[in-house]
Amino acid sequence: MLKNYLKIAWRNLLRNKSFSVLNIVGLSIGLAVTALILIWINFEVGVDQFHEKKDRIYEVYNEYPIDGEIWTWNSTPKIMGPTIKKDYPEVEGVSRYNYDDTFLFSVDEKRIKSTGTIVDPDFLNMFSFPLIEGNIKTVLEDVNSVVITETFAKKLFGDQPAVGKVVKIDNTDSFKVTGILKDLPNNTGFNFEFLMPWAYLKQKGWNDENWGNNSIATYVLLKGGTDYKAFSEKIKALRKTYDKDSPDMVTFLYPWSRYWLYSEFENGKEIGGRIDLIRLFGIIAAIILIIACINFMNLSTARSEKRAKEVGIRKVIGAEKGSLVGQFLGESILISFIAAVLALLIVLVALPPFKTLVGKPLSLDVMNFWFWLTACGVILFTGMLAGSYPALYLSGFKPSAVLKGTFKKMKSPVTPRKVLVILQFSAAIILITASIIVTQQMKKVQDRQSGYSKNNLIYTMMEGDMEKNYTLIKEELLTTGIAESVTKTNSPITATWSNTWGFEWKGKSEDNMTLVHRFIVDDAITKTMGLELIAGRDFDLKAYPTDSTAAIVNESMVALMNIKEPIGQTIKDNGIEWRIVGVVKDFIMNSPFQKVEPMVIEGAQAWFNVIHIKFNKEAATAKSLAMTEAVFRKYNAEYPFNYEFVDQVYAKKFDSEKRTGKLVSLFTLLTIFISCLGLFGLASYMAENRIKEIGIRKVLGASVQSITKLLSKDFLKLVMIAIVLAVPISWYLMSKWLEEFAYRINISWWTFALAGIFALMIALLTVSYQAIKAAIANPVKSLRTE
Amino acid sequence: MLLQLNNIFKWVNSGGQRIFLLKDINLQVEEGEFISIMGPSGSGKSTLLNVIGMLDTFDEGTYDFLHESVHSLKEKHRANLYKEYIGFVFQSYHLLDDLTVKENLEMPLLYKKFKGSERKAIVADMLDRFNIVGKKDLFPTQLSGGQQQLVGVARALIANPKLILADEPTGNLNSQQSEEIMELFKKLNEEDGVTIIQVTHSEQNAAYGSRIINLLDGRKVEI
Repeated sequence: MLKNYLKIAWRNLLRNKSFSVLNIVGLSIGLAVTALILIWINFEVGVDQFHEKKDRIYEVYNEYPIDGEIWTWNSTPKIMGPTIKKDYPEVEGVSRYNYDDTFLFSVDEKRIKSTGTIVDPDFLNMFSFPLIEGNIKTVLEDVNSVVITETFAKKLFGDQPAVGKVVKIDNTDSFKVTGILKDLPNNTGFNFEFLMPWAYLKQKGWNDENWGNNSIATYVLLKGGTDYKAFSEKIKALRKTYDKDSPDMVTFLYPWSRYWLYSEFENGKEIGGRIDLIRLFGIIAAIILIIACINFMNLSTARSEKRAKEVGIRKVIGAEKGSLVGQFLGESILISFIAAVLALLIVLVALPPFKTLVGKPLSLDVMNFWFWLTACGVILFTGMLAGSYPALYLSGFKPSAVLKGTFKKMKSPVTPRKVLVILQFSAAIILITASIIVTQQMKKVQDRQSGYSKNNLIYTMMEGDMEKNYTLIKEELLTTGIAESVTKTNSPITATWSNTWGFEWKGKSEDNMTLVHRFIVDDAITKTMGLELIAGRDFDLKAYPTDSTAAIVNESMVALMNIKEPIGQTIKDNGIEWRIVGVVKDFIMNSPFQKVEPMVIEGAQAWFNVIHIKFNKEAATAKSLAMTEAVFRKYNAEYPFNYEFVDQVYAKKFDSEKRTGKLVSLFTLLTIFISCLGLFGLASYMAENRIKEIGIRKVLGASVQSITKLLSKDFLKLVMIAIVLAVPISWYLMSKWLEEFAYRINISWWTFALAGIFALMIALLTVSYQAIKAAIANPVKSLRTE
Repeated sequence: MLLQLNNIFKWVNSGGQRIFLLKDINLQVEEGEFISIMGPSGSGKSTLLNVIGMLDTFDEGTYDFLHESVHSLKEKHRANLYKEYIGFVFQSYHLLDDLTVKENLEMPLLYKKFKGSERKAIVADMLDRFNIVGKKDLFPTQLSGGQQQLVGVARALIANPKLILADEPTGNLNSQQSEEIMELFKKLNEEDGVTIIQVTHSEQNAAYGSRIINLLDGRKVEI
């Protein structure tokens, strides 16, 4: 019996090639999209879930009301960890984590920069990062010990055994390699190639016991069986005992296994995090799969008249309803199986680009038992879902009616099929408008004047002897004509690293808590960056030695200060009176999507981290780079020369939005495609169904044109309804989306007009093929079929 | 006695009026009879055949088939009854286009859950008996109308029914093919004792039968 079903199903597929292709392609795309998104979700959900003790690990968080709102954050004082370990017997282990640091490692002549961190010895006991070599109890005991990953060990020592070897770090301290870590898996939020003991930080004098300096992460491992709730109550008032400045700040432990997906707080409550995006795309995947499934149902039931005869015959020769339901379900499961195979191929091909698109190291584990179980589950579920309606509908036919040929479908004004077309096209139109608006917004922001000249501008971080030799380096770069201008700053031009509401100026009101950014530079800032001066002058230490206490402000700052004549005024910060010598036009250092915030550019009093170099525009960039590298090698021999092009760094500011834009476009295309598949199938069904009517009309003298119009009209009406439904929804959704950006486009009516016309055209193209085909057919043939 | 219809009424309501499809039909059929139902278009011939074949219900009256009261049986039970004892032959053959001749013949046996070896033997026997062994792997569309109807009759017979119901079995056939099919019916009736009820327009075909029932506007009439 099963063989018979399969045979019939298979022959049916072959006989109705176009129908089968529509069904299978539509379904396989739906399945593939779902699979890709599931792979992604599976990755995100699995991040850092492999740690054996993850359910007992907590991260220390603080809570504090500011301006009537509760703020929550996770950086802690360095003294927090030891204090907790000392005071609470429930704690099994504590590790501080001094955010990622970059050091220069040298072995003989080899120099490699690497990112890692400084932790307490408990770290390796708490988190499951296994050691390949070394004793977990002692690897981080000694001040000058370092644990490195397998790959990093290979980079440093090649195939030589690494344990026991000595490396020099930042040219100053010698460390002994005490352990080799297995390389970190892809699915962890940690990113380090080496771990050094906290003792080293102490030795360097970087440790402090200041409760006001909240700058590191602290992880706590509770003993098994500890009541988390009770412990939270206990630890809440920790700062009352120790922190004199802010005794009311609440300390709490956040379950660390939730940090990846959640850990976003608003007013003291966890409000989500990455999980939001995951949910959103999960919903999109479900919608695409459901649209594909309903397409399948629709196409199958649309063909029911053809299958009706078969049902009748089978019933007359003895089939029971159950076996017919089984047969049709079997057929749809077969189709979904074929679609799944095709989907698997699509996934294999599409995974690498999808990986790049979402920017995650995703992989498909085909050896995994769960993968196959899920796959089978999805095939069965989809097959059942897509096949259930046609199966029940078809198997319910009365044989006497269908075999007599009197069987005709009822014509109700609202059929599920029409509703589906409307829904599909509403989704398509919403996505089309979303694509248009996202593209417009991106273009607007990308076209936005950054306010400085990014061409021929590079920066490099100050390392090693750069600070000491800065004057020599600058001198040589300028005299050899490599550079037009050189400026050192506290942060790269592409980000501000410092801000405060502590600036004071004449007439500032007491309650003004506006955040003002601080940019610290030595000299010639407008020349190097190409900033536009509105009033006053650039810093020029040669001509004006007092410029080390001068300031340049941007337009927004002038607006904030609310003064007419900024030049000559002073601003107080860090105990220094900064004299304003210039005003520049606003320029974008942070997000180009937001408005430019007030900024004070301070003169050469404070500390520097970055050197900016404006190349001579006459020279080829490659040549300038090579020459610059030679200069740096001369004055900072121990360190490799690393640099960034400012324009490239600036372009990265658009990455996340570009990604969103690409994903939206992708889903738009897929939704349109699947919707068109469905529409195409329905149009062909309609043409077939009305073949007699068309024949009669033609015999009575209707033209091909009028018949095409007649057949297309019905569908276009549905698309029109879809437009009416979709426009307010997409207007609402996109307004919401745009609200996130201070610098944004206004949604204009023509966006919707364009999306609507686009949808109509696509629908028209899809339908008219079938309509014309039906209209030009010979009426004699169609009338004879009755 | 094979079956007995007593005072069968069947109607539909259309525009507030009751239109009778069958009106007070009384009919008794003995085993081994060969009955022809005749009458003009719309007189209720096919409806009567469908009622007898239990494919259609009726609104009033009683129907006994092999001493079972069809009118009081549940749908499923009724289906079992006709599956067991009745074979159908249609004007437009109604073969399954996706299956070969052999597979079409095998179909009813599958639904009756015969074993594979049994099915093979019965199908082979039937192919042989109807002289269509050479056509067994062809699809219905590759056959002529007469050959298709031959397969249709063979399929109706394959499960060994007591009664064959044929709705204008020769309606789509030319005269020579018609004659062949009617001869076949006659042979089945006389040699194998199969009861046959056929609907026909043709006097010539009706003459093969032992009894003629005339219908007019859903009523049995005597001519």
